[in-house]
Amino acid sequence: MDKTSEEASSKGKKRQREQQPTETQTNQLHHQILSLEDNLSFTDTLVALRMMRAQFPRIDKVSIQPFVLRSQLYSSVKDRTQVDRELESLRREKVVRIFKLNTGQDDHAIMFLDDYLNQMENVVKRFEEKKEGDLDVFKWFRTHVINSKLEPSIEHQELYTLLSLGGMVKDGHISLLINGGLLTRQLIDPNMYWFAIPNIGSVLKGLSQGRKEVLSSLNRRRYKEMMLASMEKKRLRFSPLDMRFHLRDLIGSGHLKTVQTSTGLLVRVSKD
Amino acid sequence: MWKEIGDRERGILRPKSFTTRIKSNRIRTLQISNHKDIVSPHRASINSLQVDLTEGRYLLSGAADASAAVYDVQRATEYEGGGLIAKHKCLFVVDKQHEHGHKYAISSAIWYPVDTGLFITGSHDHHINVWDTNTTQVVMNFKMPGKVYRTAMSSLATSHMLIAAGTEDVQVRLCDIASGAFSHTLSGHRDGVMTVEWSTSSEWVLVTGGCDGAIRFWDIRRAGCFLVLDQSHSQLGRRPTIPEHSATNKALTSKSLSSGQNLNAKPRAQQRKLANGNGTKQSPVGKMPAKGSLRQRLHPGMLSSLDRATAHYGAVTGLKATEDGMYLLSAGSDSRLRLWDVASGCNTLVNFETVRLQGSKPIQLATSQDSALVFVPCMTAVKAFDVWSGNTSQTFRGHYEYVNSCWFSSQEQELYTGGNDKQILVWSPSRLIADEVDEGPAQDRDNWSD
Repeated sequence: MDKTSEEASSKGKKRQREQQPTETQTNQLHHQILSLEDNLSFTDTLVALRMMRAQFPRIDKVSIQPFVLRSQLYSSVKDRTQVDRELESLRREKVVRIFKLNTGQDDHAIMFLDDYLNQMENVVKRFEEKKEGDLDVFKWFRTHVINSKLEPSIEHQELYTLLSLGGMVKDGHISLLINGGLLTRQLIDPNMYWFAIPNIGSVLKGLSQGRKEVLSSLNRRRYKEMMLASMEKKRLRFSPLDMRFHLRDLIGSGHLKTVQTSTGLLVRVSKD
Repeated sequence: MWKEIGDRERGILRPKSFTTRIKSNRIRTLQISNHKDIVSPHRASINSLQVDLTEGRYLLSGAADASAAVYDVQRATEYEGGGLIAKHKCLFVVDKQHEHGHKYAISSAIWYPVDTGLFITGSHDHHINVWDTNTTQVVMNFKMPGKVYRTAMSSLATSHMLIAAGTEDVQVRLCDIASGAFSHTLSGHRDGVMTVEWSTSSEWVLVTGGCDGAIRFWDIRRAGCFLVLDQSHSQLGRRPTIPEHSATNKALTSKSLSSGQNLNAKPRAQQRKLANGNGTKQSPVGKMPAKGSLRQRLHPGMLSSLDRATAHYGAVTGLKATEDGMYLLSAGSDSRLRLWDVASGCNTLVNFETVRLQGSKPIQLATSQDSALVFVPCMTAVKAFDVWSGNTSQTFRGHYEYVNSCWFSSQEQELYTGGNDKQILVWSPSRLIADEVDEGPAQDRDNWSD
C-alpha cells in the first residue's frame, strides 16, 4: 500500500491497490491516459504481469500476443529475489512460459501460456493456408512438448523422444517447427534448441533499436536526465513498442535510474 | 555499545553473538581507510590478493607485470601525516628480474595454507612456481599446458598437499608439492577453466568453473565429477531442514519450499510426474539420455562429461564457497551472481542486482565472517550484497579502473581490493581522528628542548 502513496505524486491521482486487478478491462481503453509514474511499482509479480500485459502496445503490422520482459518486472516489483521466485513458481504451475531472447545479455520474455498457445494457432493457420508439409507435428509439439518441458531450452534427443509420443518423427518435421519460428538452434551447442515465440523477429529488432534510441536521446542532453512525464510523451522513430515499454525495461536492467524529486520522477542515465 | 558490554558481563549475551554484533557493526561502517595505506610496487594491474590464513598478517599480491609482493598489514613500515597515516610498504617483491621469476602476468598468488613459509604463484607463462618466503627462491616449478588462470590449495587438507590449477586447457590438473609431480587430471570441462576453489567442508572436494559456463564438483578420490550445477534446476529459498522428498528421486527435482513464503505446494507433485517424462535430465550422475552406443564406451564415472548443463550463460569468472560449505556463490560473464545450494545442487534464485561484471578476467569474491555479506568487484566499484536477500548493502567506489580482486580480513574487519589501476586500497571501519592521536607514535614534539 505504501507504493501508491509514492506514485500518486504530482498527478494527484490516487489509485487504490485493490482496484488495480479489476480495472484491467477499463485500462485497455484508457491505457494511454495512465501515466507510468503512477503505476511504476507493484507489490505482486502476477499483478504486475497482468497489468503490463494489458498495457502492451498494439502493433499494426505484426500480430503478436503480449509478452513482458523480465527486466520490466524487476523495475516494477521492489524485491528482485521475490520476482525470481514467484516467476519460478508460476512457471512450474504452467501459468506462464519463459523464453530466452537473443537481444543480448540474458533477456527473457515472459508470456502467459494461453497467449502462447494462441500465437501457435496463428502459425498453424498460416501454414495450413500455404498447405506446406505435414502439420501433425504442431499438434504433437503442443500436447507432448509444451506440456512437459517447462524450461526455455530443449535437447535434440529429448525433443525427438517427446515428439515420437505422437507419431513417427522425421527430420522434416523438426525443420517445420524451426520454420514456424517455434524453435531456434542454439549457436553454442548444435544439439540444443531454444523455444521461441513465432513472428517476434521484427519486434525484437524494434526492441534493440528502441533501447538505443532512448539511451541516446538521454545521453545527448547536457545532464543526461529528463523528467519521466515528458519522456513518456516522446514518440520513438525506430521501435513499434511504446516509450513506456522501453522505459520499464531500461530501468529494470539498470541502464536508467529514477530519482524522486519535488516535481515528480526524474529519469537519469546511470553510470556504473 | 555499553549496554552490550554490560549484557556480556552479566552473561545475558553470549560471547559469540557479542563478537558477531561488534564485527557486523564495524563492517557496516566500512569506508576507504583514512589511516592505512598500502604502497604497491606493482607497475601493472593487480590480479590476485590474499591474506595468509594462519596469522592474518601478511598480504600477498600478484600483478600483471609478473611481480608478487608481500606486505605486513598489521605493522606499518612508516608513518606519515604526523603519525596519523600508516604506510605499509612491501616486505619484498619478486619480479621479472628474479632469475626464476615469471615472465608474463601472474594471475594467481596464494599462500601455503599451513604456514607462511611458502607461497605459490601461477602465471600466464604456463608455469606454477612454489616459492620459499624467507629466501625468496623458487623451490618447485610445474609446467602447465596453457596459461594458468587460478591456483588453489585446500585449507582443510591434512592428508594431501595438492595444488589445483585451472588453465586454458580443458583439464584441471592437481600438482603435488610433496612429490613434485602431477597427481592426476580431472576432465569434463569443454573449455578453459577460469576458477578453482576447494570446498570449505571437505578436503577432497574441488569446485571448478569453466569458460563453458559449467560449474563442476569433483571428488578427487574418484574419476569424473559428481555434480554439475544447472541453472534451470532451482529451488525457492533455503531447503527445509528435514527433506520431505523420499530418497527414490534423490536428485535435483527442486524442493519448492521456502522459509517464509506462502507458495503453492502442488507444483512438487506435478514436478515429479513431469520428471518421469524427462527423468534422465534430473539426476546428476549417470545423466544419460538414450545415447545407446556411447553408453558402453564410457566409464560410469566419466558419464558426467556428457552432461552439458550450464550454470551461467557465459563463462564462470568467480566462485566463493560460504564458510559452512553449504552454499556456493558464482559470478559469471553474463553479469549474474548466483547462489547455489551445494547439497541439492539447485539455484536458490536469489537475485543480486549487478548491472555488469567484467567477463574477460577471473575475479575474486570475498565473504565477510559468517558469510552474511559478499563483496563483489563490479567494474570500477566493489559492491557488498546481503547473501540471503540479494540487496545491495554498500557500494565502495574508489578505484579508477576495473577492480579484479578483493579480500576480506575477518580479524580486522578490513577489505583489501586490487584493480587495474595498480592500486591496493584498504577499506576499514571508520575511526575518529581523536582516537588515532593517542595510538600513533608520539611525534608531537615541542620546539624548545626540555
